[in-house]
Amino acid sequence: MGAAKQALRATLSEGPEVSMADNGPDQASPVRQAAAGLKVLPIVEGLVLIVALILPLFLQDYLTVFATRVIILALFALSFDLVWGYAGIMSFGQALFFGSAGYGVALLARDLNITSILLVLPAGTLIGLTTSLLLGGFLLLGRHPSSVIFVALGTLTGSYAADRLARGWYYLGGQNGIPSIPPMSLGSYDLTEGPVYYYFALGILAIVYLLCRFLVRSQFGLALAGLRENEQRIAFFGYKVQHLKAIVFAVGGTIAGLAGSLYAFHEGFVWPNMLGVVISTQVVLYVLFGGSGTLIGAVIGAVIIEGVSFWLSDNYREIWPIILGVLLLLVILFRPLGLISFVLGERERVGSFGAARKEKRNAAP
Amino acid sequence: MASTFVAAFEILSFGAIIVLVVLGLGIIASMMGIFNFAQGEFVLLGAYVTYLAFSRGAPIWAGMLAAPFIVGAFGFVLEALIIRRFYAAPIVAMLGTYALGLIIRESVRGLIGGFYLTVPEPIGGSIDIGTMHISAWRFTIIIITLLVMGGCYLLLSRTSFGLRVRATLENPALARASGISTPLIYGATFAFGAALAGLAGALIVPVFSLFADLGIRFLIQGFVAVMVGGVGSFIGPVAGAGLIGTLSAALPWIMAPVVADVLVFVLAIVFIKFRPQGLISGKGV
Repeated sequence: MGAAKQALRATLSEGPEVSMADNGPDQASPVRQAAAGLKVLPIVEGLVLIVALILPLFLQDYLTVFATRVIILALFALSFDLVWGYAGIMSFGQALFFGSAGYGVALLARDLNITSILLVLPAGTLIGLTTSLLLGGFLLLGRHPSSVIFVALGTLTGSYAADRLARGWYYLGGQNGIPSIPPMSLGSYDLTEGPVYYYFALGILAIVYLLCRFLVRSQFGLALAGLRENEQRIAFFGYKVQHLKAIVFAVGGTIAGLAGSLYAFHEGFVWPNMLGVVISTQVVLYVLFGGSGTLIGAVIGAVIIEGVSFWLSDNYREIWPIILGVLLLLVILFRPLGLISFVLGERERVGSFGAARKEKRNAAP
Repeated sequence: MASTFVAAFEILSFGAIIVLVVLGLGIIASMMGIFNFAQGEFVLLGAYVTYLAFSRGAPIWAGMLAAPFIVGAFGFVLEALIIRRFYAAPIVAMLGTYALGLIIRESVRGLIGGFYLTVPEPIGGSIDIGTMHISAWRFTIIIITLLVMGGCYLLLSRTSFGLRVRATLENPALARASGISTPLIYGATFAFGAALAGLAGALIVPVFSLFADLGIRFLIQGFVAVMVGGVGSFIGPVAGAGLIGTLSAALPWIMAPVVADVLVFVLAIVFIKFRPQGLISGKGV
């Protein structure tokens, strides 16, 4: 295991150097910054957190409601980033977990009158975990490893089928979904949309973000990064690649479930689009835009896309999807690592995985 | 008896439509290894060209004849400008073609608005067999589908162009070394797949009418059909499309449509999981 770890680090340290060579001159500056020991990532994260904390003080009520929605979508984007950016599993149906948790808590509230935060959020999270375990287990595990294409199309089909099911099933409200879900409650207090909900969602986002950050920088995250960079080599080291993937997929689904239940109670209704291809592809856009493989990139992508979309929706509603398509194409062609790669060097994106500790150990004797 | 016959005809004609849509998708996926998310929008473009010709007063059949050529030329340009960069990475290709599809779809939506525009059938009326009536246009679609299928098969298996395409698929390096211009072959194959989608769109627009989400409706069904049939041959996707098309048209006759709809997808995914090579494996044509 120890030797495997060493070799793993060697694999990883090879990665960035190779890709740095063909990055072109415009990326030289962030790389140099990183080499000089200036960490960009914590600065970006800190800035985003500060802006998010003071934002409601300057916003009108209806904008705070919008900002809360963006925070929840950022949480959802985080779940996809973990699955695609860190483990390299293209989940084209991430909305399946988001939506089924939303529908689940909506049904709890409608049919059983359960709205307590202490019950519905764990329930939604559990629904996300269960559905993603089932789907991920089916798609990823098995005697033969599944092809990337199969997983991508399988998740897409799952999400599409769930959308169709929700549309046609009278119990789930058909096309209209489930309207007027009562607000979440804690004791006798009702959590309605507004600044309180904003800070509540932001708190959850921050906690989940920190947990994810811990996860991707842990031993497990090290194996994941290796998986993304060179799957075969990780398999040769004796890691059970399929199991690793299924675990990450389930973690992603869990976070998506949490986001979905927050979203359902915030909007006050759920509808079939929440399960389907529309939201599934939207979350892919957020992450690609912001920068996959960095947690903060997913958050920034969600904020920028939703923000610009909101800003343009008054005057340019029709052409916004076209602009979005063009921008996405440009990002894929020229900035595959997303907007964050303008400020973040490749070396820092991949991370150091305890290299500092190793240096200390080497320096001690 | 009569209703059974009508049901059989409905199933057959829907199966033919799916086969027609999947043909282009299957050729691009098998010959180039790209799952083209913009294929649905090529179908939409074909339908749009037909509508344009119709609304400008040209005969509908002229629009239908022009559609594959216009969409094919458009596909050729797209391949040369953008798709070419995606060959190395299948997932990036999916995302890139998705972005292209988004641009095309939303542009068409901007052009036609949120309406459902109808285009009349060039061959109207019905064919009467005894007491039964079947739509003449749907019957024509079945005939054209059979002709196009046969034509594609002959093109790929009997002509020197087909030989070059298959050589490029099997071993690009060796094909290049033998003097085949692989970039040109890739461009031509992509254009051919796009042209087939354009033809499909032109033929089905009288049945489904023109709306911006026309193509998306068939896209996922098409992908599933290609996977079920097996990527890597011409016959595979066609067989898969026949199966998926028949199933999704036949099942609603024996169970609730909602259940049937979902069941087709679930069955297909389970099938692919346990038989990843698809219905028809092996290279061949």
